[in-house]
Amino acid sequence: MPLNIDFLQILLHMLNFVILAGGLTFLLFKPVNRFLEQRREQFAQTEKKNLEDAEENEKLRAEYEQKLKDADTEIAEKKKSAEKECADVSAQYIKEAREKAARIILKAENEAEERKGHILESAQAEIGELVVSATQKLLSNTASPERDSALYDEFIRLAGNSAEREGRE
Amino acid sequence: MEHSAMVAKGKGKKNIFLVLWLALIALILVGIIMLLPPGEKHESIQTVMKDSVLHEHNKMTFFGLVVNPGIISAYMVTAILLAGAALIRIFAIPKFKTVPGKFQSIIEMLVDFFSGMARNNSHHEPHFVGAYIFSAGVYIFFSTIFELFGVQWITTAGHSMSLPAPISDINAAIAMGLMSYVVILGGGIVFGGVKGALGVLKDFSLPISMSFRLFGALLSGLLVTELVYYSISLSFALPIVVAVLFTLLHAAIQAYVLTTLVSIFYGEAVEPKPKKEKTKRVKKAKEK
Repeated sequence: MPLNIDFLQILLHMLNFVILAGGLTFLLFKPVNRFLEQRREQFAQTEKKNLEDAEENEKLRAEYEQKLKDADTEIAEKKKSAEKECADVSAQYIKEAREKAARIILKAENEAEERKGHILESAQAEIGELVVSATQKLLSNTASPERDSALYDEFIRLAGNSAEREGRE
Repeated sequence: MEHSAMVAKGKGKKNIFLVLWLALIALILVGIIMLLPPGEKHESIQTVMKDSVLHEHNKMTFFGLVVNPGIISAYMVTAILLAGAALIRIFAIPKFKTVPGKFQSIIEMLVDFFSGMARNNSHHEPHFVGAYIFSAGVYIFFSTIFELFGVQWITTAGHSMSLPAPISDINAAIAMGLMSYVVILGGGIVFGGVKGALGVLKDFSLPISMSFRLFGALLSGLLVTELVYYSISLSFALPIVVAVLFTLLHAAIQAYVLTTLVSIFYGEAVEPKPKKEKTKRVKKAKEK
């Protein structure tokens, strides 16, 4: 054959390469490739998990923010309600205080009126006494035992009325 | 501070002196080597070069068969590669970590390079063609580098000669070309059916071009190396530099070229063919 081509040697080279290819494939290519595939898969899974975690975190963050917003709204509502309640209570207190004050004033007015009446009454009694005394002095010359007795009765009645009023007070 | 600066300056001076001294010795040695009288030569340059191409004279025995030295080289490379692969499989791969070290990175890069090439060019069974091009790439690269070691073997004539790269033997190149063609044809038949197979069969120049491209490229490197070895009486200094550079370069290039070609042709062969209806529609549209 030209160029020293020999079919037997071609076959021997083929046999050599087939042995080598089989050996290299099973000893090196497949195990390393399998390892690379596993690692690629592992990285893909980790990446997927990270993405899922990130999504979950984002979801949780949104939920948390929503809760915070809700809490703020709730706080504002409660504050408003407490303020209203406080205003109602204070208004109630003020109303009660005013009523109480009105009652006290009314009572005081009544008492003052009553005292004024007593003062007037006692003044009248004293005036009566003065009048009796003056009359007695004026009429000392015309005195008689009956007249004296009548004057004494009058005096006792007036004095008795006055003492009774004072005891009541 | 001043003391450390002075120490650094002193070290710098020492280094320069060392480099100059070594360069001087190297220059004198190269001069001596160039002026040495040539060694005894059994063959003329024509014979050496012709034998490098055709391997007609220097034959070796392989299990009783008289064969070209390339066969011995090929089986030796296979044995070394398989032993290395077995050691890696037993001791290194079980200790592979998620974050790789230097050695693991190299192995992963090597496998992933060919696997990725197969995946990018073929959508059907990329693992099969990936394994094939991985083996072919590793074989071509390491078998080409093999000639650098100058492993000595006895010829049938009783001379000692350094074993050449297996693919510098045309029979090895033809074997690689034919097997690549068979792989592509097999892919075409399995995934493309009769049409796929016919498409690959139609391109019958493929195995020839693959074989001769590989053979020619490897041979050119070998011839240059042989020429340098022949011209310089001692096989070190300049031949080492030239041989290493040429060998590494064409080893890497040829491994890349063959594997790329195989993966591209395989991808084309297994690619689903467009249906005829489409072409009819296109024709009709063009007629309109």
